[in-house]
Amino acid sequence: MDIYFCLRQPLEMVDSKRMKTSSNFQWLLSSFILLCLMNQVNSQKKGAPHDLKCITNNLKVWDCSWKAPSGRDTLYEVCIENRFNSCYRSEKTNTKIPALLPGDHEISINPIHNHSSISKFILNEENISLIPDTPEILNLTADFSTSALHIKWNDKGSAFPHHSNVTWQIEILRKKKMEIVTLMTHNTTLNGKDTLHHWSWTSDMPLECVTHYVRMRCYIDDLHFSGHKEWSDWSPVKNISWSPDYQPKVFPEDKVVLVGSDVTVCCVIQEKVILAQFGKEKCSLIHLDGENVAIKIYNISVSPTSGTNVVFTTDTNLVGTVIFAGYPPDIPQKLNCETRDLKEIICTWNPGRPTGLLGPHNTSYTLFESFSGKNVTFKRAEDPADISYQLFFQMIPNWEIYNFTLNARNPLGQSESTILVNITKRAVYPHTPTSFKVKDTNSTAVSLSWYLQGNFAKMHLLCQVEITKSNSVQELRNVTVKGVEDSSYFVVVGKLSPYTNYTFRIRCSTETFWKWSSWTIEKQHLTTEAIPSKGPDTWREWSSDGKNLIIYWKPLPINEANGRILSYNVSCSSDEETQSLSEIPDRQHKAEIQLDKNDYIISVVAKNSVGSSPPSKIASMEIPNEDDLKIEQAVGMGNGIFLSWNYDPNMTCDYVIKWCNSSRPGPCLMDWKKVPSNSTEAVIESDQFRPGVRYNFFLYGCRNQGYQLLRSIMGYIEELAPIVAPNFTVEDTSADSILVKWEDIPVEELRGFLRGYLFYFGKGERGTSKMRGLGPETGHSDIKVKNITDISQKTLKIADLQGKTSYRLVLRAYTDGGIGPEKSMYVVTKENSVGLIIAILIPVAVAVIVGVVTSILCYRKREWIKETFYPDIPNPENCKALQFQKSVCEGNSALTLEMNPCTPNNVEVLETRTVVPKIEDTEIVSPVAEHPEDSSEAEPENHVVVSYCPPIIEEEIPNPVADEAGGTSQVIYIDVQSMYQPQAKPEEQENDPVGGSGYKPQMHLPVSSPVEDGTAEDDLDDTAGYRPQANVSTWHLVSPDSPRSTDSNSEVVSFGSPCSINSRQFLLPPKDEDSPKSTGGGWSFTNFFQNKPND
Amino acid sequence: MIGCARVTPLPLSPFSRLEGGRGGNRDRLRASMSRREGSLEDPQADSSTSLLPHLEAKIRQTHNLARLLTKYAEQLFQEYVQHQGDPFGLPGFSPPRLPVAGLSAPAPSHAGLPAAERLRLDAAALEALPPLLDIVRRHQAELNPRAPRLLRRLEDAARQARALGSAVEAVLAAFGVPASGPRPEPSPAAAAAASTGVFPAKVLGFRVCGLYREWVSRTEGDLGQLVPGGPA
Repeated sequence: MDIYFCLRQPLEMVDSKRMKTSSNFQWLLSSFILLCLMNQVNSQKKGAPHDLKCITNNLKVWDCSWKAPSGRDTLYEVCIENRFNSCYRSEKTNTKIPALLPGDHEISINPIHNHSSISKFILNEENISLIPDTPEILNLTADFSTSALHIKWNDKGSAFPHHSNVTWQIEILRKKKMEIVTLMTHNTTLNGKDTLHHWSWTSDMPLECVTHYVRMRCYIDDLHFSGHKEWSDWSPVKNISWSPDYQPKVFPEDKVVLVGSDVTVCCVIQEKVILAQFGKEKCSLIHLDGENVAIKIYNISVSPTSGTNVVFTTDTNLVGTVIFAGYPPDIPQKLNCETRDLKEIICTWNPGRPTGLLGPHNTSYTLFESFSGKNVTFKRAEDPADISYQLFFQMIPNWEIYNFTLNARNPLGQSESTILVNITKRAVYPHTPTSFKVKDTNSTAVSLSWYLQGNFAKMHLLCQVEITKSNSVQELRNVTVKGVEDSSYFVVVGKLSPYTNYTFRIRCSTETFWKWSSWTIEKQHLTTEAIPSKGPDTWREWSSDGKNLIIYWKPLPINEANGRILSYNVSCSSDEETQSLSEIPDRQHKAEIQLDKNDYIISVVAKNSVGSSPPSKIASMEIPNEDDLKIEQAVGMGNGIFLSWNYDPNMTCDYVIKWCNSSRPGPCLMDWKKVPSNSTEAVIESDQFRPGVRYNFFLYGCRNQGYQLLRSIMGYIEELAPIVAPNFTVEDTSADSILVKWEDIPVEELRGFLRGYLFYFGKGERGTSKMRGLGPETGHSDIKVKNITDISQKTLKIADLQGKTSYRLVLRAYTDGGIGPEKSMYVVTKENSVGLIIAILIPVAVAVIVGVVTSILCYRKREWIKETFYPDIPNPENCKALQFQKSVCEGNSALTLEMNPCTPNNVEVLETRTVVPKIEDTEIVSPVAEHPEDSSEAEPENHVVVSYCPPIIEEEIPNPVADEAGGTSQVIYIDVQSMYQPQAKPEEQENDPVGGSGYKPQMHLPVSSPVEDGTAEDDLDDTAGYRPQANVSTWHLVSPDSPRSTDSNSEVVSFGSPCSINSRQFLLPPKDEDSPKSTGGGWSFTNFFQNKPND
Repeated sequence: MIGCARVTPLPLSPFSRLEGGRGGNRDRLRASMSRREGSLEDPQADSSTSLLPHLEAKIRQTHNLARLLTKYAEQLFQEYVQHQGDPFGLPGFSPPRLPVAGLSAPAPSHAGLPAAERLRLDAAALEALPPLLDIVRRHQAELNPRAPRLLRRLEDAARQARALGSAVEAVLAAFGVPASGPRPEPSPAAAAAASTGVFPAKVLGFRVCGLYREWVSRTEGDLGQLVPGGPA
């Protein structure tokens, strides 16, 4: 035991001296070794106290205990040697001694009855352990609504001599199994007095769900104490539990949580929960004590209006709660406070972000005015649809500046917004004025009155009057009125026009402008009448007979009439007399007075209900012109016409321009215009002006005595093209000319100043399309145009025409506005009889002369002709014609026959048959002289090469096979008719194998077809006549692409000489009348001579 | 009894349906009616004959009203569950049919009761429903202030239930069937107290709307059996 103490002491010392320097450590180590040895020596004494241990819990008293042999009741005396030798007696093995000063103190423990067992110890504060007393939880309460635990305890600080820091550890445990939930630390200070401490903790799980336990301990960190400090023991556990009802319950009930937070919901129930749902989601269960369960919801999202349901389902029951997840109120935005009547302040705001909480959890607003300390609370609108955020605050008399704080609060928090307003200067937004009325003051002024609710007694009102004149011109006038309280206001609005319709409305603000009120409703008002400001514009005309003066005047415009004109008074006064016409009704704007030729001054006065206008005067005299006036022409600008004149200082009054439609009958007066005497130009405009209408304008100058006509102008506002063509007639026609005469176009249809005529003429007959379109735009080159710019010309003679020819004549008039329509006429020139006679006689005479000469020549040369063209014996060798041709054919391509004694030729022999013959589709073509492709064309003079074989007559019927193999020539009999009936059927050809009795070539050439061979033989037997004297065996059979073969149906039916075997000339003319004529003249001519011997 | 004898030849008359068609209840109903009309003699029997068209019209009219309200009750129920959030609106959600203070649920044995008894139960339920519907409406006005259609339907339903109940009682009175005895006063306050908390209030509304739908439908069926040409 002593050893243990001895060993323990150094260890404890080591622990306590950790923070000292190494030198101290060595010194202490040696000291303790010495102490250990001393203790060991003392312990040698049998039964001596040992293992002295001292602790303290308040730093004032050390509680030392030691071990001693048991079984004996011993009284111990504990003495502190170096401290005034204080001794304490104790019957137990412990004693309390006052805390010793720092440093070593020798302690002797002397058992009274055994002096030989005195033990001595060296005691130092560093060997003392500070172990606070076990704290005690004085009170543990729970706020189930907030799941908060509140702990209260006493720190017993009075027991400590000086201030010390204390650390409290509070442990929260849960469930019967005392599962640690959390261990929290709380720091306080001991201040020498007993102090109660409170600490709260909020559970994430509703406290109703499960029993919660709490215990605590402390640790005193006294800076003056150098000994060992330890935690106190844990306090006794205290718990909080909820006494469940019979009914199952779910907690928390209707809790409002912040969006995004985590929530634990538990169900206190006696049955087994089989399902837990959060909204539509199923949740995993956390089992608590008994059948109680809980679920944890993480990061909860904003709830629907009626909250999010949490439902626990058992076999027989269903319980739940509702969680409202939302946001704390946003800072009220756009807070604005203003007054409309200076009695009540209206503060409006925008709530900002929605909280997601409605109903009982909705945000409540409180408006607090800091200067007065008053506040008002926002009440929810009864109608949920009418959500207007505004609060009304009653103004404090004579109080101008208000400092408002709007506080928004809901279960999740609060926010606020402030505004400082000077209500009278920057926050008056008056109500809309009511009872707005307009009353007449005079013809140019009205008084406006309105009622404005509000206490404006100490300020001026700035009001704005909008005046709309006749629904067009708008004018704003500001008026300032002195404010009163809840009263009517009056202002007079002047500078108005009499007898004019006005629309008034008004709005107001305070003089320190903040906002205009809304406009009042509009009021229409007609100002009263005033006397006409001017006399009517007057003109006069003498009647056609010159006896009466007609006075014209124009109605006064509304701005001059100043009311409704009731009547006019007209008076004519001269030096001698005065005539008056009174009460001429308004609708009449002229008056006629019989006057002599004296000078009169005519005065016209307009009257309305208020009075008469100033008289409008005009002199009756018309000053004659010294020179004849020339009528000028003028064209306007589309909407008016511009007139100018030279300045005339003699004109002292004014100028008058009157105008009229020139085509209208009667006196010329449509309108007039007066121009000041210093003007030299005027633009005459009138709504009555129409394009294409001719107007006459007359410019009058005014002198004192009267008016003088200065100019007479004829003009158009705008020229148009004539709408009719001039009527024209043909005055005379001859074989080569036409005389045309036309009439003028009426002015109404001319529609502009006539600039000329366009006259078109050309050959053409009625109904032919060629002449239908005439004019420059048609572009006919054979149509001649005459532009007649001399508008006085009314006739036109067209010469150099052809006789007995139809001509179409067109006449159009044109102005600067365009060309008018056309008028046309067909004229046939007369026949030229002399020329016709000459034209007939000359050809007849020439024909007769030629005939006579030809007859004479033929008669005289008849022998030569016969000898030349038609010898008696058709011997080719004696045929002079052929000889002749042979000699000349080289240079004359017009000859038709050529004899070639050595070159085999192809010959197609045409055979005439009575019935439709068969076309032998073969041909014989000379390999040397091939016919050109166009050799079958009907141009006989181009057919220059026709081969002919010498008259080697060798009539035989060659073997068709051998013919084909040896390439012998073939002679094909082609019926003449077959040339015109190439589509004949083979059957028909077989039925009529024998041809007609006409000419046939004297050669028979068998063809390849056996059938046709037979036919050929028959033909040979049946035919007898001329045959070409050719050696067919030398002919060469060519391919069937010969042009002769392919053109067998061509209209070219003959060429060459009838004596040639190569000729394709029909030897007999076709009997068919419809058959094509032979284009070669040789046939008929030859036939003529051929028939001659027979004759 | 004379009246009953008179109307017997009319196989589809209201009386025949009220008495017959339910087997053994016929005699009991006759006995009940005879107690009510025990002093009636032939002249009154004649007058009852003349009243038949009027009774038929009343039954038909009440039946038509019940049929219309059945449709409205269904609309109300659907509107209600839509505004309570899940799982109320989920198909298949069927909380336990907890009793509602002051209002009984239609029992399965309801169909086996005599027609007059059934109509009496219908009338009693329809009379108990309006205050409960008012409670539900007040709850919903707090909970769903921006659901005006639901609130209007709840308000209408209370009025319509009251009207239908009165019409059924009028039919019973026309038949001479005694009105139901002193019924216990409906205790909506008890129901309201039981529904402290939002969730119990939602469940209460769910139950009340469901019971309203059931009772109106049941009333329509019960009246339909009395309507000439209706199901026997």
